[in-house]
Amino acid sequence: MTKTQAVVIGGGATGAGILRDLAMRGVKAVLIERRDLANGTSSRFHGLLHSGGRYAVKDPESAAECVAENAVLRRIARQCVEDTEGLFVRLPEDDAAFETEWLAACRALGLPAAPLPPAEALRLEPGLTPRLAAAYRVPDAAIDGFRLCWQNVASAVRHGGELRTYTEVVAIERAGGRVAGVVVRDAVSGATSTIACDLVINAAGSWVGEVAALAGAAVDVEPDRGTLIAFNHRFAGRVVNRLRPPADGDIFVPHGSVVIFGTTSAAADNPDDTAPRGEEVNALLRLGEPLFPDLPRYRILRAFAGTRPLYTGGHGAAGRAASRTFAVLDHSREGVHGLISVVGGKLTTYRLMAEKTVDLACGKLGIAVPCRTAAEPLAAGPAPGLLAAARKYFPAGGAELAAARLGDAFGAVVGRLGDDPANAALICECERVTLGEIKEVAACATTHGLGDIRRRTRLGMGTCQGAYCGFRGVAAVCAAGLADKPAAGLLGDFLEERWAGVRPVLWGTQLREQELLRGIYGASLNIDGAMNDEQL
Amino acid sequence: MNKNCCDIDACTACSTCAALCPVAAAVREFPGPKLAGPAAERFRRAGARDDAALAYCTNCKTCEITCPSGVPVAAINMRARAEHQKKHGRKLRDWLLAHGEHMAKLALPAQPLADLGMDNPVTRQVLKAIGIAAGRPLPKYARRSFLRQFGKLRQQPCADKIVFFPGCFTNYNAPEVGLDLVAVLQANGHEVVVPKGLNCCGLPLVTGGYLEEAEAAAKRNIAVLAPYAAAGVPILAACPSCGLMLKQDYRELFAADGAAEVAAKTYDAMEFLLELRDAGRLNTAFKPGKARYLYHAPCHLRAQGIGRPTLELIGALPGVTVADLDAGCCGIAGSYGFKDDRYEISMAIGQELFARIKAEQADAVLTDCGTCRLQIAHGTGAKALHPVSVLRKAYEPAYKL
Repeated sequence: MTKTQAVVIGGGATGAGILRDLAMRGVKAVLIERRDLANGTSSRFHGLLHSGGRYAVKDPESAAECVAENAVLRRIARQCVEDTEGLFVRLPEDDAAFETEWLAACRALGLPAAPLPPAEALRLEPGLTPRLAAAYRVPDAAIDGFRLCWQNVASAVRHGGELRTYTEVVAIERAGGRVAGVVVRDAVSGATSTIACDLVINAAGSWVGEVAALAGAAVDVEPDRGTLIAFNHRFAGRVVNRLRPPADGDIFVPHGSVVIFGTTSAAADNPDDTAPRGEEVNALLRLGEPLFPDLPRYRILRAFAGTRPLYTGGHGAAGRAASRTFAVLDHSREGVHGLISVVGGKLTTYRLMAEKTVDLACGKLGIAVPCRTAAEPLAAGPAPGLLAAARKYFPAGGAELAAARLGDAFGAVVGRLGDDPANAALICECERVTLGEIKEVAACATTHGLGDIRRRTRLGMGTCQGAYCGFRGVAAVCAAGLADKPAAGLLGDFLEERWAGVRPVLWGTQLREQELLRGIYGASLNIDGAMNDEQL
Repeated sequence: MNKNCCDIDACTACSTCAALCPVAAAVREFPGPKLAGPAAERFRRAGARDDAALAYCTNCKTCEITCPSGVPVAAINMRARAEHQKKHGRKLRDWLLAHGEHMAKLALPAQPLADLGMDNPVTRQVLKAIGIAAGRPLPKYARRSFLRQFGKLRQQPCADKIVFFPGCFTNYNAPEVGLDLVAVLQANGHEVVVPKGLNCCGLPLVTGGYLEEAEAAAKRNIAVLAPYAAAGVPILAACPSCGLMLKQDYRELFAADGAAEVAAKTYDAMEFLLELRDAGRLNTAFKPGKARYLYHAPCHLRAQGIGRPTLELIGALPGVTVADLDAGCCGIAGSYGFKDDRYEISMAIGQELFARIKAEQADAVLTDCGTCRLQIAHGTGAKALHPVSVLRKAYEPAYKL
């Protein structure tokens, strides 16, 4: 049996941030995640680093948190943030009085919202409708949830923290009203074991209620479903918000090579209710078209859905009306000592959520070390010489992409490409992922399959959605000794996962793409194992 | 610029263009049209830098010919190259090659001094210093331009008019091609008009990365040609690259009023003559001859999607046979093959064509494009002619102008 001070449950941004904060304050801690990092809401979101503008009028508390954390994350998570800036755009049919109210709210928050003449807004974003009535610039940005989680954990590990992915909590043990340990099952081997601890920190996001129940506690959380669409190319270079009271389908976020548009809001049956639906996509397109008139003609790569862990805290507001702020719950009020849950919030405020949670945890452990997570960067960033050297090996623009994706592992990948030019081969051409990068990620102890490699490298997340990189990636996984089933099975899993997002958007070029993919896998590679009837 | 040009969403990443790109086959550093074009464009729009691979593209348009999804791959590349060069600066050499029309205008009054100047060792050193390939013979300027000679012609007046767009190479380097075309059209009851105010089609400016200047050149040409197009007068280009600009690139790259109307009335010279034949209007009083020709279809002619009219027209001449070389790109790609850092790639691309020509016995190689003719002569020593020159010979002496 292992022993630690704190077990953190949930490998999303909040859990990763908590692990880092605990480790930096010298608390021994283990982060438990049932699948891979950033597998839940921290990757099924808009990728928006909020300026606070969206919540300025209706939810000033959450807006103020966003204003502060936006500045912090730009500083500490530089490689996860793309400083796109954002626009708030009002159309003639939107209430002009709301614009006045919004401006006053922004002023009160200290949120800079600089007016932009419509002609200038159109010059900056030529895809916008020429009908726009007003535009403002705000410090919105894009943020990568996968990277953010991994870089938090990498930093935590440097400070002594421990990560266990593919590890599911099956029970929380108690002794005399106190939490005593966590029983976990290794999802790969099936073996169960116990981690003894003084504190359990429940950061399971939308699943926070299920985890609390394991300890006999309760959390008022309502998983709220949001569906998003990823487009094939960056038709917007800036985050574009519709300047009106927050509603469905009013935010566009440029993200790497794609634009992510959404979202919807509807009560979810359960936190795993994340299959996107065709009717949601159609509804979103209708909502987005007034801002970007060509929207129906842009190619959609896929749709995806996540569940927001909205904290209702007994006051009854749900959906869009529920506050986006967060709560740290001390379950000792219910007689469950040593269990802390953190719930609600936004990805933008994950660090603040971690800070408040760890403040409470440290109070319980009698530790008086102040939080330093806002001061110390997550990763050092590539040395200037390294980036220059990398440009020799990577395809155009690939060095910068890989440096941002890989964080601390970038140096090792550059070394692999320098040692063997074959490692510079592009396995994923659409997202420019090299063989060296895949080998490096495949060699990590936390990597168990192609899905894990995909989340860390973006393999398969571009134009062809796996048509070409699928078989190449499987070959790399087999070569790395990671294959736990025959190659055809691995291909099947990978394609099934991609298919879930493509199915609701199966028209136009994406339909042609899928037919090409079907030809490659079904006919050329015959992964279904069809037999030649004439020879039977 | 055309805001809607260069839609990358139609690309299914099928890689057909990469498999058939003559540049990618010749030089490893070029990742191929898909990766340099639509795939890279997704990252260029996200601010990616370092797009040096773009410089390898010859704009031969093989990718556009082969693309099953209609992606304007070469146009995407040319636009991105222009943006790249705006940020990273350009070489003097590339300015000179893109502005061949300026050069010709300066050189022509002093010809043959200009040609003497090109050949002497001192000039060659200067050219080498600015990056012109030492091994590449430079095309000679004509003693008298096509326009000057055309101005002195007395044509038979005809009811049917055609507009001839001469282009720089015909005007300054190969005026005989223009004169031969005029003679052939006269023999077929057409009177040739070359309106004042036409300038370079703009293709060297496009490939050189000077898109704004190219757009201005295009708009001047369209302004001159549009009234003729509106009046139903066919517009002929004897150079496939000029023809492709008028037919396709003006519309694709630039949102110019009148571009579609001009495109609809533009014909390749041989295409137009084949249409006359199909309509039963071609003068077939050809003098019997005895010749065997090889035909090379220039990339920009193939990109027009008009088949290979020369094979039918020349093949129908009494006593004449013509064989299709079908060996892909010749490699010169206009000014590309004149650059010292591209010369070897250019010659490598042409190897298949050169080998096939050398293996055949023929009186001459026919090809519509002026720089293809230079490349074929340089790569094989064979005589290279525009097919219209063969047609004119077949009418002689009956219709001598």
